Amino acid sequence: MTEALFAGMDQLFTLPTMATMLLGVVAGVIASAIPGFTITMAIVLTLPLTFTMAPLQGVATMLAVYVGGYSGGLISAALLGIPGTPSSVATTFDAFPMARSGQPGRALALGIWSSFFGALVSAIVLIIAAPPLAMIAVKLGAWEYFSLIIFAMTVVASLVGKSMLKGLMTGLLGLFIATVGADPMMGVARFTFDFDLLANGFPFLVVLIGIFAVSQLLQEVEDAEQTKHGKQLIPTNVAFKPLDALRETLTYPVNLIRSSLVGVFIGAVPGAGGSIANLLAYDQAKRASKTPEKFGTGTPEGVIASESGNSATSGGGLIPMIALGIPGSAVDAVLMASLMVHGIGIGPRLILDHGDLVYGMFMAMLLAAFMVLVVCLFSMRFFLRVTDVPRSVIVPVVLVCCVVGAFALNNRVTDIYLLLGVGVFGYILSKLDYPLAPLVLGVILGPIAETNLRRALMTDENWTLFFTRPISLTLLILAVVSVALAIRHRLRQRHAAKPA
Amino acid sequence: MSSQSSSQQTRSSDRAAAPDTRRANALAHLLLNGALVVLFGALFVQAGALPASMWEPLGSGSFPRLVLAVLMVINLGIMAQEWRRYRGAPRASAGLVTRWLWQHRLALGVLALFALYIVGVPMLGFRLASLLFLTLVQLTLGVRRPRSLAIAAIIAVTFSFGIDWLFRDVFIISLPRGPFG
Repeated sequence: MTEALFAGMDQLFTLPTMATMLLGVVAGVIASAIPGFTITMAIVLTLPLTFTMAPLQGVATMLAVYVGGYSGGLISAALLGIPGTPSSVATTFDAFPMARSGQPGRALALGIWSSFFGALVSAIVLIIAAPPLAMIAVKLGAWEYFSLIIFAMTVVASLVGKSMLKGLMTGLLGLFIATVGADPMMGVARFTFDFDLLANGFPFLVVLIGIFAVSQLLQEVEDAEQTKHGKQLIPTNVAFKPLDALRETLTYPVNLIRSSLVGVFIGAVPGAGGSIANLLAYDQAKRASKTPEKFGTGTPEGVIASESGNSATSGGGLIPMIALGIPGSAVDAVLMASLMVHGIGIGPRLILDHGDLVYGMFMAMLLAAFMVLVVCLFSMRFFLRVTDVPRSVIVPVVLVCCVVGAFALNNRVTDIYLLLGVGVFGYILSKLDYPLAPLVLGVILGPIAETNLRRALMTDENWTLFFTRPISLTLLILAVVSVALAIRHRLRQRHAAKPA
Repeated sequence: MSSQSSSQQTRSSDRAAAPDTRRANALAHLLLNGALVVLFGALFVQAGALPASMWEPLGSGSFPRLVLAVLMVINLGIMAQEWRRYRGAPRASAGLVTRWLWQHRLALGVLALFALYIVGVPMLGFRLASLLFLTLVQLTLGVRRPRSLAIAAIIAVTFSFGIDWLFRDVFIISLPRGPFG
């Protein structure tokens, strides 16, 4: 372990890697500060730029964008009352009233410190939890792995969106999309219709960009039609006192640690992520507070809870990815894709076969958290200007970047035609309230699910083994329970919504 | 201090907009999910023709068929839900489609320009197609004043010629050149 740690640090602490990480942090903060520009979009657009980098440099740069992104969402949430990313929704509840009451600098500084501590706690939990979990995971058989994917898919489908059926639909659609191209066991071409483009299956990155970036940008244009955002709400002269804010943040240690742990746990659950973590951490802080009535009026407790909660999901999401090869969110799926581009197989053996890379990633998380802190504390006045960038600039520029990203993957013009098709399809799905995250997770989990199912039945044709092997059975029961709980929750919601 | 009026955040989905749109929304679901059921059915039949394996009980077509079968069932389930919603919703008022198109004119306009841009990249080359696309979308999204127009022009040049230079000379990835080099 020590050897791998030092090897990872040796690769990480080089000038090129640290320079690209610093750029990644700045890009992540800027991107997320712009309302409507999500962390997923920022990560997706960063991926093509990392193709020419060494594996650790590439993934460390993307982690820097990821960690920076969670802090950047704070800026527009606090100053404009508009969450820069979905993971900053609860931040608007107290940071915005605090800023409007004449303390924008306090709101920002509290958020930055809370984000830092959240990311720090999550990195520590990641370092402690991922290696032993991976050691257990390497002992899992194909039956357990297939059941684990079933469980992950049902959790994702039941957590995101308004309808579980729709979540399952898009998740299964992702699994189907992954079957296009060469069969993973026999190499037989499936559903290619003699198109060269499809011979190797749908390019994951093109699907990802089309589904997330293109459809999201069109949605942004629609929102711009319906919404007239005000100009800058906050004075340009912001009193920014980071040391006072640090002292204030540390006066709520229980809130800080509880919210961070909520973030880590939620981040580790496939499909959950920052948007749920920050609301849940906020809710828990409010329940535990001696002054819950102050929540929503600009209390520091609310800012600390939401920001430490959402930032902690970054490390939490990496736990299942590194230990099990199951991405916790769309962002983790892109991180997985970035390693796969370099020919590195993801799964529990990752930590055994590429220990230096994994420990390098752990250190990159810690380093990114420190970089975000330093960058935000020293450049906050610059970042405040970012919220002024209008949609008329963001939308076309990001669309051009999408085309470049899709083309650069294989240097194929047909990939950009596919981008358009996938983008339009994603837009239609989002207009009809279909959640898109399960689709992306389905695309990445599809080959793993199929390979393990077929491998299990090749080893022993007795399919009842899925139900008689204890871990496999437990995972399948958990899958049924997650579906049942989701149905019960929705029935209760429907019942409560009915007029008496 | 230049504190100004607060921003109105009234993001509303079509579904929540009015009872008027509920029927149209249900109809859109029925059409989409109906089309998907037909597509998945055809693919299910096609997957049956994929070769079986001598070495394993499941062939190449088994997993896709399993997924497609469940997809068909789920889509039929969604259709049943939406059919009930369609039957229970009041009739849509006249001119709903025209109103919807008008409300979404900017998004549809940007989408149309994006489609033209995608087609134009191999024909005109990345630089020229991007320059035109960036300029036209910024104009479509409301850039009118001289200062904004000047900024729009700088952005268009930077993100067309600038990105092309970055990828060609720094990342050694050549973007489509087109007949104008």
